[in-house]
Order: sequence, then C-alpha cells, then structure tokens
Amino acid sequence: MGLKEDKVVPGREERVAACMAYGGSACGIGRENKVCLKNSERGFSQAGLCQLLPTLGMLLTLPETAVVVHGAIGCGSTGFGTNVSMKLHHLLRGNPNAKDGIWVSTNLEEADVVHGGEGRLEETILEVDRRFAPKSIIVIQTCAPSIIGDDLEGVIEKVRAQIDTPLLYSHCEGFKTKIWATGYDVAFHAMVHGFIEKDREGRPPRKEGRKPEERPVVNVINLASVGRPDEQEMERLLNAIGIDVIIGPNFGSREKIRSMTQADLTVSVCPTHDDYFVDYLHTEYGIPFVLKDMPIGLENTRNWLLDIARHFGLEKEAQAFIEREEAQAKKSVEKFLPLLKGKRVFLSAGEFRALVTAGLFQELGLEVVGLRSYHHDDFGTEYYGKIVGAQGGKDFPVDIANFQPFELVNLLKKIDVDLFAGHIWDNAWAARLGLPTITIFRIFDYYVGYRGFYEVAKKTARILRNHSFNTNLSRHVPGAYRQEWYEENAFKYIKSFQPEETSEPESAAA
Amino acid sequence: MSTGTFIERPRYQCALGGALVTINSIDRAVAIVHASPGCAASADGAATVGSGYWGTTVTDGRATPSTNIVEKEIIFGGEERLAEQIESTLKVVDADLYAVITGCMTDIIGDDVKSVVGEFRKQGKPVIFAETGGFKGDSSVGYEFIWDAIINQYVEKGLPKNPRLVNILGLVPAQDVFWRGNLAELKSLLTAIGLEVNTFLTPFDDLAALKTSSQAALTIVLSDVHGDKAARLYEEAHGIPFVNEPLPIGPTATTEFLRRIAERFNLDRQQVENVIDEESRWYYSFINPLTDLFTDQDFQRFAVVVGNADYAYAATRFVANDLGWIPYFAAITDVLTDEEKKRVQERFAAIEPDLRPKVVFETDTSQVQARLQEELAKEDDPYGTPISPAFVLGSTLDRPLAADIKAAFWGISYPITNRIITDQGYVGFRGGLRLATEIVSVLVSNR
Repeated sequence: MGLKEDKVVPGREERVAACMAYGGSACGIGRENKVCLKNSERGFSQAGLCQLLPTLGMLLTLPETAVVVHGAIGCGSTGFGTNVSMKLHHLLRGNPNAKDGIWVSTNLEEADVVHGGEGRLEETILEVDRRFAPKSIIVIQTCAPSIIGDDLEGVIEKVRAQIDTPLLYSHCEGFKTKIWATGYDVAFHAMVHGFIEKDREGRPPRKEGRKPEERPVVNVINLASVGRPDEQEMERLLNAIGIDVIIGPNFGSREKIRSMTQADLTVSVCPTHDDYFVDYLHTEYGIPFVLKDMPIGLENTRNWLLDIARHFGLEKEAQAFIEREEAQAKKSVEKFLPLLKGKRVFLSAGEFRALVTAGLFQELGLEVVGLRSYHHDDFGTEYYGKIVGAQGGKDFPVDIANFQPFELVNLLKKIDVDLFAGHIWDNAWAARLGLPTITIFRIFDYYVGYRGFYEVAKKTARILRNHSFNTNLSRHVPGAYRQEWYEENAFKYIKSFQPEETSEPESAAA
Repeated sequence: MSTGTFIERPRYQCALGGALVTINSIDRAVAIVHASPGCAASADGAATVGSGYWGTTVTDGRATPSTNIVEKEIIFGGEERLAEQIESTLKVVDADLYAVITGCMTDIIGDDVKSVVGEFRKQGKPVIFAETGGFKGDSSVGYEFIWDAIINQYVEKGLPKNPRLVNILGLVPAQDVFWRGNLAELKSLLTAIGLEVNTFLTPFDDLAALKTSSQAALTIVLSDVHGDKAARLYEEAHGIPFVNEPLPIGPTATTEFLRRIAERFNLDRQQVENVIDEESRWYYSFINPLTDLFTDQDFQRFAVVVGNADYAYAATRFVANDLGWIPYFAAITDVLTDEEKKRVQERFAAIEPDLRPKVVFETDTSQVQARLQEELAKEDDPYGTPISPAFVLGSTLDRPLAADIKAAFWGISYPITNRIITDQGYVGFRGGLRLATEIVSVLVSNR
C-alpha cells in the first residue's frame, strides 16, 4: 500500500516502525530490537501533540484555503497559533498584507455526539463555500466524530457533487497514533488526493522525459520548520549547478502542486518529513528521488548536493562549486572558532534535524553530549554512529521523547552542558536551568547550506557571549519536580515490552 | 448552551481548555489531563498564544501531565492508565493540588474517573476531578466545571465566616486576556476600602486561600454570565451570597462599583470616599495634561466594540462615560443561552438611550463584519462615512473589520496575538488610565 491506495493514512508505528520512548545512548539505539522500541511507553507522561496539529500547520499554508475542523470546538481553537506563523511565513515571502487564514470548527456538541455529526459537517462545508468562496476546502476529521462513526468520505462525495471548489480531506484523529509526524503523511495524502487524484480535471499525465537541451527541474519539498531564507539558500545552491527548482507543496497553489508531478527528480530536505509523498511521486510518476540527507552542516550539504548532481551528470560542476563555497564558509567562521572550540552541546528536536545539526556543531569544534529526538525511525539510525565516530568514539545519552520535559530536565541536571540547542518550545526548559540556548530553527534565519553554516556559528558565538537572561531566570524560577525525581534515572518511567515468542522464528518464515 | 451550528475561528477553547487554563493559573496546582495526545497541547496552546503570549511556566504547556491515551485504551478502557498516571504524577511533580480533567474520548468511552480518583482521595491525596470533554462546551463552561470540582471536592466545609472576606469570580483566564492585572488591581482597591480579597488566579494567590474560601461573606462575580454557576455553588455548598457586577473600567464605573460594594458591607464611608478621591486624583493628574490633544485634535470617536459579554459592555461604558465617545456597535462573541443573552441585554439597556450602541450576538468574525455593514447601510449619509471617525476595540481578528471602515484599532479581547500582555489590566482607575493611554497612543502612532 502507498499514499494512492491508502484510504486512511497508517500510523507511523506501522508504516516505518517509529517509536517515541527510548532512553539510552547513541551507540545503543542502533542495536535495539525495533519491535521492542515501537511498543515502548511511559508510566508517567506529559502532553504531546496529536497528528492534527502538524496536519493543520501544513494545510493552512495553501493559498486562500478554508479549513473545516470536524469535531468539538477545542480542536479548532489552535488555528490562531498556526495563523500567526502563516502570517510570518507570508511576510518573508514579500506578502505583508496576507489575509488571515480561514478555519472553522463544526463545533460538535453533546447532542451531536449522540446523534452523529454528518449533517452538521455537510451544512458547514456548503456554508463555508458560500461565505468565503475559497480556492480549496480542507476537511479535518478529529477524534470525536470518528469514534461516533461519522462517514467522512460519504459526506465528502455527496458535497463534492454540489460545489466546484476542490475538496481535500484528512483523517487525523489524535488517538490513532502516538507519532504525530504521521500528520505530515496525512497532509500530503490530502493534497495529493484533493489536487491530483480526485481533481476535477483528473490527474496530470506522466511527463515524457527531459529533452537534452532542457535544464533539469527538481522538486524541493518544503516544511514548516524551514523558513524562506533556507528555501532561498537551497534554490541558490541548485541554480548554481544548473538545476531549476519547484518548491512545494506547502504554500503551493493547486497548479504548483500538480506541476510537481512533472519534475525530473524529487529532493527531500528532511527524509522523516517527506518519504510518503516522495514515494508517491516515484511510484505514480516515475520520478526518482534523493531521500537521505538534510543540507545542514558542510558534510551533509556536500552529500546532498552531490547526490542531486549525480542524477544529471553535474558532479563536476557541483564539486567545483562546493569547494569554492566550503572555502569561503570555513574562512568566514574562523573568527568564531576559538570561542566555540570544545564547548559541550545538547540538542533537542525532531530526530533528523537534531542529528544533522549535531554534525554542524561538530564541524564548528563542539562536542555532542546529549540528544533528545521527538521520535525515532530508521532514517536516523546511521547518523547516531556517525556522530559518535566524529568525536573519537565518545558516546552520549539519547532520549527519544515526544517532548517529556521531565526527562530532559533530569538529564540536563546531570550532564555538564555549555550550550543547549532546541526546537521551539524546548529551549525554555534549559534556559530556566541557566544554560545558554540557541533555537534550532526560526523561520527568519538561515540554517541550511553554507550561509546557514556561517549564521549558526555567528549566532552561537553571540549567545555564548552573554546569557544573563537565562542565568537570572534560573535564580528566580522554582523547579516543577520533586527533589527525588532529579535523583532518579531519567528513563525510569519508560516501559519496554518484549515481543511475545512467535511460533515461527523470523528466519524460518523468510 | 447549544449553538446548533459551526463556529468560525472560535475565540475560545473547549471545556477541557477552560478547565486546564484555570488550573494552570493557580499556583502549585497541576492538571492531569486524561485524554488523547494533543488535547492538552491544543487546549492551552491556543490560550497561551491568544492571550498576548501568556506563555508557559513549569507544569503547563508541554509539561502538563497527560495520559495520552490511544486506540488501545479507547477499546479496553483507560482507567488503569489513569491510575498509573496519577500515581506517578504524585511522585514526580511537586504540587499541592492535582486536578484530573478529561477529554472527549475518555468521556465518550465512559471511564469511571470518579472511582479511580476516589482511591487516591481515600489515601488523603489532594486529587480532584472534573469531566470536561470538549464537546460539552467552550472555555467558560470548562471554567464552571473545574470550579464545581474545586468547590465540592477541595474547599473546606464548616469553617467560621469572615465577614470582611470576598471571593472574586468571573474572569476566565486567557478569555480575559488581562485577568492577572485586573485581579491584582481589584484586590488592591477592595483591600484599600477595608475588605480582604481572594482572587485565586494570579501567581500571588495561594492554595490555602482557596481551601478556606468557604469563609467568605460574599462572592463578587465580575460578569453577568461567566462564573455565575460557580457563585451559585458557593452559595449552595457554603452559604455564601453573590452579586454580579460589571467589570469596572475607568473612574465612573469603578466609583459606582466601590460604593455599591462598600454599602453592602457597611464599610466606613469616609475611608471609601478617600480611596475614590485618591484614585481619581491619580487618573486626572495624568489625563489633564492631555486635554490639548483631546480637544484640539478632536479625539472623540464613534466606538465599535467586539469582545466577550464582559468586555463588550465594560469597554463601551468606559469610552462613553469617561472618554466621552459615541458607542455605535457592540458585538458579543460568546456562545450564550437565550437567558444569558437577556441578562447581557439588560446590562446594556441601563446605558442612557442616546449612548446605547446596537448590540449583536455573533460568534463568527466574518459575520460580525457583515452585521456592522448592515447597520451602516441603514444610515443616511451621502458620503458613505456615517461613523467616521471611528475606533474599533476588539481582538486581533477584528483588524480587517477596522480596516474595512477605515477606523483605528486597539486589541482588548481574546485573541490578542500582536502584543505582549504581562501585568497590564484595565480595571479600576489605573486600568482606565492605561486603556486611555493606549487608545490615545494609537491615535498619535503615525506621527
């Protein structure tokens, strides 16, 4: 099964054996039994996300769309946060007067939970179409209507016949998966089915193949945690070696998303984010892909660029370009290196982002002393070993946690850390302990490519010069946890399940 | 509280969200959310962004203890998981009150939360619970649910009364973006006239006051609709009468408010009038020098106010009575029952007819704008600008409405996402001075 055939997107536990509870070390994680990992849970847990939030975050980027969140009123209340970040993304795209996004909640109430919400959903879609005349309507199914058995597809098919506006839908019930990254798959699924597979004009035909004189065109898949500056850097790198770029599908119109089926290659910026969509373009449109690295740090950027160049026989051009750029980037950071040398960094973010950023810090002379990833899947496995190798075999603790700040704070109290590099919403925990913190992404800044390498070095040096805001906080903010907790093993509440003995050993079944 | 319809860009969270942010506002109280993963994040994520970046402290946001139940528990029941989570939370999180609140899924599958929590209560653990499934209503409903749990499961019974002690209810955290500053100012004013005051929901209140709040002689509900049920429960369970008061913004409303409360308690009149005089002096000492600006630049405006029932009324009165503006239109964005709407209407009816705005009840941002346009279309004005110059007081979502009628804009109601709110508040004389200062600042901001 794949994106095209899947009626409902499978949870990532099933699709890629992803896990969200592991405590151990970088050397240990590659050796773990995947089935055990997948089933691990916590006996004490803190709020995570559900797949609805990343789905909403991606789908609200579509221009002039309207999102219908089918469920109780709270599931639609997060639109503000998404709206704020959308407006900032638009600002960076030279569109300071972007309109507020449109999102509505079907507002399922107690009576609807008893009698069903299909009627309400149908009326809502029709009224939204009439009231706003959007370019597309996206329906998002949440937990409550799913459990009471609302027939989402039935309503969609019925309404599709009545309106011209493209209708996208997605199942993103929070209770269906522990791995919220499933939400990325759900959003891709909605875009593909809404704008390509079930589009009123049918799906675009397969491209005939590139003529020799044509410049190659590659899809670069963007994501909410990559800002416009980083997109521009990727565009610059690829243009420089003779490749044209389509960046999407986020912020893309229907036409742009359809045009992604006509590219010569699909390039992933983050394999964890993109693989479901990449696979669709490959299976259905025969578009080859590069799905291995994220162009953050010199080595990763080199590998990423060379992999793409190889597809078009442009290695020589790429090699020359890389050497020029690397030389300039290395020279540009020289003045910061004395301050950065030997500093001990702890990273926290989505797995791939954390790992590649760890590589960047190593290139700047820092040592990785701990890493927290939001979930673990196979795309990251080999990187752990690579990082340990790059610092002479020095292992470090790894916490696979869908946030769980109680584990993070416990670890940070025990490890000697000079710098904390965290995803948004992670840094405050370290800041309150008085550590200098650098945010691992901000949509206004460069992190990718050579410009990113320089900017991260510059920013790190700036932050290490003065972090008195954080130091002061640590003197005035009480901790949240009992003293006993800080003395416990940080991973005490992770429960690992051993798989039951199967009657046939794997080797016999093969 | 059924609306029977969808809601556009809801200006509230669900019942779970209202309960969660209320617990998060109480120092040394922590929520244990028994729900799907994502519920806690959605519930307070919106509130913490929409309330001028309230942000997170140490036991809320992503640190909120949560069972994160998935398919397995939905099929087999989540009680065992809940018991495990309560037990581990008591061991890990350093708090003095633990409030179990539930989401849609656990309410639909019918987990017996009461008996799970009951086991811990039997052992003397400070755990309470409220069933707050999101489909049961909005933030204000959740606020009432959690107060029900606090009043019936936490507040001590049978304590002697304190004839000078008042409890303040009605300011739903984040729904009132300025609840902390407002409560702090109320406490300071009421203390000055001779009362003792429980505000509960600021970082400077403690749980001891909540536990002994049954000693109060009066509950002041600063709303005609929010906190009303909680006040009735205090009356039923602890014999405390209550009074509904509008949010007092500015000198006129605050003077009336203080006199009414003082009369009720038979407080020393001279002391009360001294406080009013002193505060008035503060207000007018800063307003007086602005008189040139006010008059020369004609700072009178037609006012359009969009917000919840409390702010729509209180801000309308402030601009009418204290700034001398002309209220034109007030949109109330709460989800209200007919009975509640009636109470709000009555409040507006007390404004003298010439300064009474058109009042509409409308939850949807685009429809507030449509209703205003309908009103404007009725005006006989050949130049198409019947309410120019106008000023819109609303939420960040109402900026397009203001732009549409070429009016200036300032955010006073949820959500406010384009500035930071810390200790600001609008109640009292000083709050009124702040609001006046901010409004006038908008009028000179292009200089």
